Amino acid sequence: MLLYILRRIALALPALFGLIVLTFVLSRVVPGDPAGTLAGDAATPAQIADIRARYGLDRPLLEQALVHVHQVVSGDLGNSLFSGRPVSEEIMQRLPATLELTFVALVFATAIGVSLGLVAALDHNGPIDHVVRIVSVGGLAIASFWLAIMLQLQFSMQWDILPLRGRLDVALGMPHRVTGFLLVDTLLAGRLDMFGDALRHMVLPAITLALPGLATITRFTRSGVLEALQKDYVLYARAAGYGRFRLAAIYVLRNAVTVTVTQIGLLFGALISGAVAIEAVFDWPGLGTYAVQAILSADYKALLAVTLVVGVVYAIVNVLVDVAQALIDPRIAQQPR
Amino acid sequence: MVVHLLRSSVLALALLLTAPLPASAEPRPLVWGDTLPATLDPHAIFDVPSQFILLNVYDGLMRYQSNPPQLVPWLATSHTVTPDGLTWEFTLRSGAKFQDGSEITADDVVYSFRRLLTLRRAPSAAFTPVLTPEAVTATGPHSVRFVLSKPYAPFLSAMPLVAIVNQRVIAPHVVGDDWGNAWLATHSAGSGAYRINPDNYQARVSMDMERNPDHFMGWANNAHPIESVRSRPVMETSTRVLALLRGDIDATDSYLPPDQFERVQNNPRTRVARDESMRTFLIRMNNARAPFNNHDARLCLAHAFNYEGFNNVILRGFVVRNGGPNPNNLWGNPPDLVPYTFDLTKAKEYCDKARAAGVDLSRPIEIHVQNELEQSVQAAQLFQSDLRRLGITLRIVPNTWPGITGATSSAETTPDMWIHWVSTYFVDPENWIGQMYDSQFHGTWKASSWYTNPEVDRLLRAARASLEQPERSRLYSEATRLVVADSPDIWIYNTVNLRGLSRRVQGYSFSPVGSGGEMRLMSLEE
Repeated sequence: MLLYILRRIALALPALFGLIVLTFVLSRVVPGDPAGTLAGDAATPAQIADIRARYGLDRPLLEQALVHVHQVVSGDLGNSLFSGRPVSEEIMQRLPATLELTFVALVFATAIGVSLGLVAALDHNGPIDHVVRIVSVGGLAIASFWLAIMLQLQFSMQWDILPLRGRLDVALGMPHRVTGFLLVDTLLAGRLDMFGDALRHMVLPAITLALPGLATITRFTRSGVLEALQKDYVLYARAAGYGRFRLAAIYVLRNAVTVTVTQIGLLFGALISGAVAIEAVFDWPGLGTYAVQAILSADYKALLAVTLVVGVVYAIVNVLVDVAQALIDPRIAQQPR
Repeated sequence: MVVHLLRSSVLALALLLTAPLPASAEPRPLVWGDTLPATLDPHAIFDVPSQFILLNVYDGLMRYQSNPPQLVPWLATSHTVTPDGLTWEFTLRSGAKFQDGSEITADDVVYSFRRLLTLRRAPSAAFTPVLTPEAVTATGPHSVRFVLSKPYAPFLSAMPLVAIVNQRVIAPHVVGDDWGNAWLATHSAGSGAYRINPDNYQARVSMDMERNPDHFMGWANNAHPIESVRSRPVMETSTRVLALLRGDIDATDSYLPPDQFERVQNNPRTRVARDESMRTFLIRMNNARAPFNNHDARLCLAHAFNYEGFNNVILRGFVVRNGGPNPNNLWGNPPDLVPYTFDLTKAKEYCDKARAAGVDLSRPIEIHVQNELEQSVQAAQLFQSDLRRLGITLRIVPNTWPGITGATSSAETTPDMWIHWVSTYFVDPENWIGQMYDSQFHGTWKASSWYTNPEVDRLLRAARASLEQPERSRLYSEATRLVVADSPDIWIYNTVNLRGLSRRVQGYSFSPVGSGGEMRLMSLEE
């Protein structure tokens, strides 16, 4: 198993290297000159050229790319062109908010999606199955941006039962930052009131973010369970007198869920990128809003770092998915690669 | 057992989610929903959000107050200038203190200007053409001398751009030759009416400020000043409006969409502050390239924009028609300036004349818009539909601010047309016509129409060098008359700032510099 894990990690490294090079090239070939913005309104062309030289923006693209790769490989993501602060520090301030939201959304999507998929498959072509299919198609079709605003209007403005925006009520202040994950830090600070408030702030963005993923998981679980139900071992188990629920929840689901786990890994990446729009609507101070601000100000150092961090998180999640699959189905780790 | 555990967990979760927040004895702090700058270092950035920091956390030698803005002495009590316009001497107020309790002296002013001029970041651009770090010296504990390399009349009006910083607070955090820039990006070293709590600061996300009771201006004019300010920028316009209506924030930014005016004004707990600003909106034309290098073609385009329809229908009249480069409400405008009007018959005549002179109007013209700013897209779409009636194809290209400004460094890469605003950084025609139409600024985004008229250059340079206000006013009026006749750009409106406010906010006072974000003047009524 250890060898299997190491092999998966080794396979992720070239992909990350490719990501570093590709994102650099993309960020520098698109138009946009941060030197002009840095120099300000009244700057003369000479002043703009001076700033361009100071930040190395006038060097040949290949030279800039090599410097960038060298910096990243040495663990230095550089400084933001505008704040002058290390980008890694700024990202570490924002990353926990995105990871927390994504994680909660994923847990929600998985718990509900797997349950719905299982129930729908057991009621194949029955009324529950039909309803679940309609709901899952709807979940995939609805634009997140629209859903977010509708949820805000109904739950925050009309019924006034859930917060509209942000991570915590401004009157409560902030807990001492330990991990950056508010659900953890509020508990560490022993502030249940803050924990409850943080949880309430998370409901609407997490549901919005989770819905397309939930629909996907439901559909994959449903088809996986339906396929597994056709296997001989199910017939044998039924003949042996296993109860319907025990058979489905323990034996069928375990065999059916391998594909779903792969989907969950892919979904994690989709959820992080989907968080960009949702963070903007709910004013969630995560990596998505940071990336948008970096794009609008042509802060390419910040943008490159965000892309890389998302890539690393995605790679880690995929390694974890591979491991999870091997644990669920040990045959996977045994297969020669 | 499992069912019991599940039931208890669900119950606890439901209680946590529905439990109301405990009522606090403290009044709810003011929550400001406007944008925060990327850095708190006042010498590193020069945009509209950074003026919020400049006005509340720092003080300068001079400051703009009210509307129309008046330049008033601030940390300086008076100044003198030699007849040649080269040597300026400022006398500082004695007894003014930084937030750490140390006195503000001439040495701090010298340090601040030297830091600004050495860092050479955005706010320095107004000074570097005429001022070197060595030319700023202390002539006494409370007097500072500036020796300019050439006469520069806007020097005084640019003075409020420079924050005076506390060198003793910055010194321990200087790394190499950064003048403490990295540290000051997340901390403050000022004397302003509010102090920042660096522990809760998160760039562009949250900034908490507490009142500085020892501010040198005192608080006698404000019986109930705001003790705590929570700056929480709201990124999305729709969320910003909803947050105000719901009471989550006390102020939006000052660009409330006109279609939200009645909704906010009619809500029992909110209102809209409506103030004419000095922020012009215009469509640029690249005069260095055909067809814009032809006067008739430019006049055709100037008569083809539906000013009335855009200003009064799309923007519901929440703007003021502005027919020239300077805002209407600024000095230096000719009193009889007649703006161009929307007249497709006249436009067609000019287009025909241009075509007869061999100008090719058949190629598609590109107009670059700032895609995240809805008004720039709306203006382009309206223009596109009217130009189609003249047989001109306008192609709308979505772009971003850095994307466009980066392209304006050369005439070849500058777009055919683009749309933007010119905000108030300092109140002087130099901020508008001076930097937009003097050919010495070619290569900057402000001069991106690549307009050249030697007579206009002469007038603008003479106005820049003269210290006589009536003379400067005459020169700028004359230059404006020539520029408008040449029609290098399409000037559309002057902004009326609309800021949504909760009704508990009192004392809000708008000034085009800083857009009314000066907390010192406000109070909260519970």
